[in-house]
Amino acid sequence: METHRESVDPVADDVVRSFARAAILAALLGATAPVSIPIPISPVPITLQVLFVFLAGLYLGPVWGPFSVLLYLTAGAVGLPVFAEMKSGIGILFGQTGGYLWGYVVAAWLIGVMVHRGTELRDPAEQPLPIVVVALVASMVVIYGMGVGYMAWLLELELLEAVAMGMVPFLVGDLLKMVAAVAIVKSKRITQVRP
Amino acid sequence: MLSYEPDETIAHRLDPRSKLAVQIGFAATALAHTSLPALVVLSAVTGVVLAAARVRLLETLYAYRFALVVLAIAPLVAAVTFGSPWIDVEDGLTSLRASYRVLLILLVSAAYVRSTPVRHSRSAIQRTIPGKPGQMLGIGVALVFRFLPVLRGDLRTIREAMAVRLGTERGALERLSTIGLLGLTRAFERADRLSLALQARCFAWNPTLPPLSFSRVDYPILAFAVVLALSALL
Repeated sequence: METHRESVDPVADDVVRSFARAAILAALLGATAPVSIPIPISPVPITLQVLFVFLAGLYLGPVWGPFSVLLYLTAGAVGLPVFAEMKSGIGILFGQTGGYLWGYVVAAWLIGVMVHRGTELRDPAEQPLPIVVVALVASMVVIYGMGVGYMAWLLELELLEAVAMGMVPFLVGDLLKMVAAVAIVKSKRITQVRP
Repeated sequence: MLSYEPDETIAHRLDPRSKLAVQIGFAATALAHTSLPALVVLSAVTGVVLAAARVRLLETLYAYRFALVVLAIAPLVAAVTFGSPWIDVEDGLTSLRASYRVLLILLVSAAYVRSTPVRHSRSAIQRTIPGKPGQMLGIGVALVFRFLPVLRGDLRTIREAMAVRLGTERGALERLSTIGLLGLTRAFERADRLSLALQARCFAWNPTLPPLSFSRVDYPILAFAVVLALSALL
């Protein structure tokens, strides 16, 4: 019998730790798909997805944050029911909500870049509040820009029509999520940020 | 709910890479064309794909019911105009054709989901994307599959605990930040235990994967995927 020789190439400790966090956070993103909280002013209940996209950027940084979101999208694409309403499949990434989903990746990256300013992770609680808020607002603009833009192009809608369908109903909920993300950062209860 | 089902169809025997290629090719060409003849051809292709994977159409449409609502509303929103004549039929029809192709893309991906087990997808990702990013993505997807039920359980525990303490009576903001905070704390605790376990098991860049190989049926399917992708340029 032929023997096959190969030496083991172990993964570095800090990479393992960041990787494990990214993978678990991706699973958490998927687990939030069926959770919704009703709010009085808007016809659309809040889902938690965007909140955890914010947290991925804030606590995992510009490399592992987007990687985590990308893992979530990949797991959904190959068949895990993690997208809204427990759907899955590569078609969702090209479907009418695809722009938002790809926007999540860019949003997590943007927050990571603005808050951590480099691959060395910093504690978001120690960053000045305006930076955190501006990063969250900028990522929200990216998510809506990509989501509404793609929906308008895909379904051949006028921009205003797409805004009415894909932005107005969600706006209140998303503002609440931004405030919640800031509250979580400022509570300083998420510790051990450094790898 | 759509998920993998063991079966003996042609689609189940194909290599996952050629199935992924077909989906991407199909999506590319469906996104490029909305003319009526193109939609007829795309529908026919979808029909063949669904039959090849023995997907039950009604069940699948039911699984996608919420997406269908949005796809049905879009043409109505497009048709409504402010001021006379109030309803622009032409606009609505254009949007209707555009919505229909999205439905076809969803159905084709349902065929993949039904005919491909997860470990094949993982193997395909790891063999298609070269180097360490591919490895990370492959292992990461497997971990997401493994931990999804665990974290669903965590979230359920948190929400039940909140409900018992009259959390459902509190404001949306407080509920959001409580779930976010507790969810993330628990997730990071799990991640630390996971990384320890990975290190203990000699987590390496070069593990042994299940073999994948193209069979004779795969080549025409792969060629078909290329034709589909190129037809987007027509």
